[in-house]
Amino acid sequence: MRFGRTSKAVGVAAAAALALSACAANTGTETDEGAEGEATGGEIRVVEVNAFSSFNSGTAEGNVDINGTVAYLTHSGFNYINNDLEVVPNEDFGTYEVVSEDPLSVKYTVNEEVAWSDGEPVDAGDMLLAWAVQSGHFNDATTDEAGEVTSGSSYFDYAGDTSGLGLTDVPEISDDGRSITLNYSEPYADYEVAFGTMTEGGIGMPAHVVAEKAGLADEDALIELIQTAPEGDPEKPVDRPELQAVADFWNTGFDTKSLPTDTSLFLSNGPFIVSDMTPDQSMTLVRNEDYNWGPEPKIDEVTIRYIGEAPAQVQALQNGEVDVIAPQASADTAEQLEGLEGIKVLRGNELSYDHLDLNFSGVFAEENVREAFMKTVPRQQIVDTIIKKLNPDAAPLDSQLFLADQERYEEAKENNGSEEYAEADIEGARELLAGATPEVRIMYNRDNPNRLDAYTLIAESASQAGFKIVDGGLGASDWGAALGNGTYDATIFGWINSGVGVAGVPQIFKSDAGSNFNGFSDPEADKLMDELIRETDPAAQEDLQVQIDKLIWDSKYGLPLFQLPGLNAHTDQVAGMEYMPNQTGIWWNFWDWEVVQ
Amino acid sequence: MVTYIVRRLVTAVLILFGASFIVYLLTAASGDPLAELRASNAPNREQLIQARVELLDLNTPAPLRYFGWLSGAVQCAVPFVGNCDLGRSIQGEAVTDALTRAVGNTIMLVTAATVLAIIIGISLGIITALRQYSGLDYGVTFMSFLFFSLPIFWLAVLLKEFGAIGFNNFLTDPDIPLSSILVVALVSGVIFTILAGGTVKRKALAFLIGAVAAGGLLYLLNLIDWFTRPGLGPIVILVFGVAIAYGITLLTAGLKNRKALYSALIMVALGLVAYYVVNPFLGAATIWLLLFLAVVTVGVGMGVGFLLGGYDRAQSMRTAALTGFLMAGLIVLDRFMVTWPSYVSNSRIRGRPIATIGASTPGLEGDFWIQGLDNFTHLLLPTLALLLASLASYSRYSRASMLEIMNMDYIRTARAKGLSERTVVMRHAFRNALIPLATLVAFDIGALIGGAVITEQVFAFSGMGQLFVQALLRTDPNPIMGFFLVVGILALVFNLIADLVYSVLDPRVRVKA
Repeated sequence: MRFGRTSKAVGVAAAAALALSACAANTGTETDEGAEGEATGGEIRVVEVNAFSSFNSGTAEGNVDINGTVAYLTHSGFNYINNDLEVVPNEDFGTYEVVSEDPLSVKYTVNEEVAWSDGEPVDAGDMLLAWAVQSGHFNDATTDEAGEVTSGSSYFDYAGDTSGLGLTDVPEISDDGRSITLNYSEPYADYEVAFGTMTEGGIGMPAHVVAEKAGLADEDALIELIQTAPEGDPEKPVDRPELQAVADFWNTGFDTKSLPTDTSLFLSNGPFIVSDMTPDQSMTLVRNEDYNWGPEPKIDEVTIRYIGEAPAQVQALQNGEVDVIAPQASADTAEQLEGLEGIKVLRGNELSYDHLDLNFSGVFAEENVREAFMKTVPRQQIVDTIIKKLNPDAAPLDSQLFLADQERYEEAKENNGSEEYAEADIEGARELLAGATPEVRIMYNRDNPNRLDAYTLIAESASQAGFKIVDGGLGASDWGAALGNGTYDATIFGWINSGVGVAGVPQIFKSDAGSNFNGFSDPEADKLMDELIRETDPAAQEDLQVQIDKLIWDSKYGLPLFQLPGLNAHTDQVAGMEYMPNQTGIWWNFWDWEVVQ
Repeated sequence: MVTYIVRRLVTAVLILFGASFIVYLLTAASGDPLAELRASNAPNREQLIQARVELLDLNTPAPLRYFGWLSGAVQCAVPFVGNCDLGRSIQGEAVTDALTRAVGNTIMLVTAATVLAIIIGISLGIITALRQYSGLDYGVTFMSFLFFSLPIFWLAVLLKEFGAIGFNNFLTDPDIPLSSILVVALVSGVIFTILAGGTVKRKALAFLIGAVAAGGLLYLLNLIDWFTRPGLGPIVILVFGVAIAYGITLLTAGLKNRKALYSALIMVALGLVAYYVVNPFLGAATIWLLLFLAVVTVGVGMGVGFLLGGYDRAQSMRTAALTGFLMAGLIVLDRFMVTWPSYVSNSRIRGRPIATIGASTPGLEGDFWIQGLDNFTHLLLPTLALLLASLASYSRYSRASMLEIMNMDYIRTARAKGLSERTVVMRHAFRNALIPLATLVAFDIGALIGGAVITEQVFAFSGMGQLFVQALLRTDPNPIMGFFLVVGILALVFNLIADLVYSVLDPRVRVKA
């Protein structure tokens, strides 16, 4: 019987297999368990949406959130911003003191032992380079109507605003070479966050490296160059090849997606230093052993992984591949995260907020019409429909200048008359219109579901009061270009509040300002804003903002709608994370993070 | 022939010029690179807009900008000068660098999936064609169409949920409950029944064998804790080796060719010896060492076949070489399995080996085997997703082509002159059935480098698809043009190859200049 033979053979083979599994070849792969060594702070893995591209987060192209995050982890500075949006000085790194109020003069001193990871001290030279970049002092470019540079050049391709430090002249350096003094030609409100803030990358680029790579002899030569080169004058542009070389290197020399072999290109003066990079995949940072000038992290290693898709982030979190995620907030993601065991979800507001602006021209030239329209806006309903499912605590934003996370928000809200517009008041709007049926074209980004929903709700409500609403929605790539071109009467879009500092206020609300798209103009507000950007006392700044807020509301400017919700989540294997509204996000207190054993 | 190729190449260049121009214009028109800045309330908004305009040269109309790009790109066509300039992305990275990396990643992602899809797809097609309208045929057809129509992002999510998260949970405490073993046994029984076909008695027997084999195996593996400490061991390698030897001989030479069978069995014996001899040295293995050993194995196999000889040496040589190669594969597989526990217990892996994202575990250090396992655990799910989705086309094409061939007159002639069914199927039908597939495979390889956009997105893999999508989102023309060049050239080249291969394979088709 063949069958019998085969089955017997199989049986013998199986028995033999069990018996002889001991006679396997010597592979030398016996696992040695428990070779862990001494207890360590452990490793935390965090997800970012975008991939790292540059060690210089200050350039226009390098100014991406992930590059800023890495800069925050690897650079120290004079202060940082906490999640109540307050400035917290870091005196272990150095000090800054106001030497004189008027004219404003601020002295920055770096402490003795603070150094780059190659041993070079962090000193006045580094601060001077940072100043040269952020002040735009040497720029002498003239541009024509189309934006083409016709003469001169803009040296440093700096992403931030140069108008603050632009007010200062070439800084004085102290004799010990550890401090510089910035002398402002006029008081500048945001002086505290204008220089050396960790949130903006701290003292970011090492002057000795930039000097050497730009072909200068050493850091002193760079200091000499910055101190002696005359200020840029667009009327009389001068060719400055040495400075151009420095700027060229600063602009592009730190761009990389893989770890440079030249370690001087990623020096750290902060808590962590990059140890490994896989382009478009991940990055590993380890503790900077020398660092003791500032909050010291509890963990030894941070791994950043780049995952674009929110569902992929959630599943990676669930699979224990990553510990912390900050996905784009959406109702699905929130719901999915809530349903998971062992996952903590952090919710809060972001600094960006959507708002409805009415043009001060055309159909809305009349204040009555604007007021009537504002009365029809169902702000509570908009929040309930769009935001509630993401953040159950969400409420309409009731101030044009303050965010709900800021200290003076409640006061501004009480004061500015926003309670009139808490709920839609169709009857009131009808009365104001007195039978008129104005035609209103609303422009918004049709491809953004939030804006589309807001438009739909507003249009429906306004129609009830007698407005004839025309849908002026444009596609994602067109609506931005249409802003301020007069083809619409009202628009729904978003702005980002800086959270700290007031330079953004006149940019939107001052007459003829760059982002003033609806033609708002109020002499009194202009005057207060001029005062605001010269006021250096935070409390007085806030007082002024409360007043300006009221003026804006009184002029029937339009309505802020809601702050966008933010969403972070982490496993219960790690602890110490707190929600942060600004662009630093969950990272802001990474020194408090720890691995739960 | 040469004139034909030259003519095709010249046309290809012209097509590339025209298409790149169109793609450039489409890219430029696809979005507003200033969109995010226009709605900005940053105090230096104008300055930022101006910087972006200057960077992307937006004041020059797109058709003119194209020639700026072209002047750099044509230098790539000049060999050995190294002046290739495809521009830089908005983030300042040279497009040539980005492309090199993306192509590498994509090849890594799609190679295994493509090879497996071709092998499995064609085998399924052939088998279902031979048993047309059987339960097996319907089953395979149903499954392949099911996977074909599932959206890949959803398939990926399911794979992650069960293949990674669920399986990793299982691995933390690998104990299979009796109920699960019973279910698996039942399913396996059903599959065996479908595979067996034939009479009711035969089906019942198949069901019994399938159920007992699967259930017993699972029970046994569970008992010896195989899932935490997997491995094959010499006995299993021997048993599998003998099975392989018989299988390969059956397919290539027929069991009646005793010389071929013996040479295959000799290779199995040699493989078992090699298992003991080579294993101690494999600790320091590299991919080159393994490739070298593979070549040696094939060489030895051919030598054994040659020495045993017989009237048709080539058959024995082929059989022995193939058996030896697969035997070597078993030894390598065993080695990977033996390494598994130390991989799983690595502190970077955290005891959850199967990954849902990326191509490797950041910071993982280890020898070739650990790194190999890491690649495996990362590529497993995306490969499965791509494989399942592309099985349908290969299996359907090869089934149709095989059915057509099997109804040909020359097959009837072959049968009539008394050839064995194996010879008819393997020699006369199978080879000819592959001809139409040659074009399909060539096309697919060209298209695959273009990236599995969605798969890459879902598995956070940074290949060609991601390069393209990210650049498109930023309205960044240079990376898109780089992507287009690579994909366009590959499509044209593989098209040409497909045509040439066809004429080589099918003597009835001749390329005329």
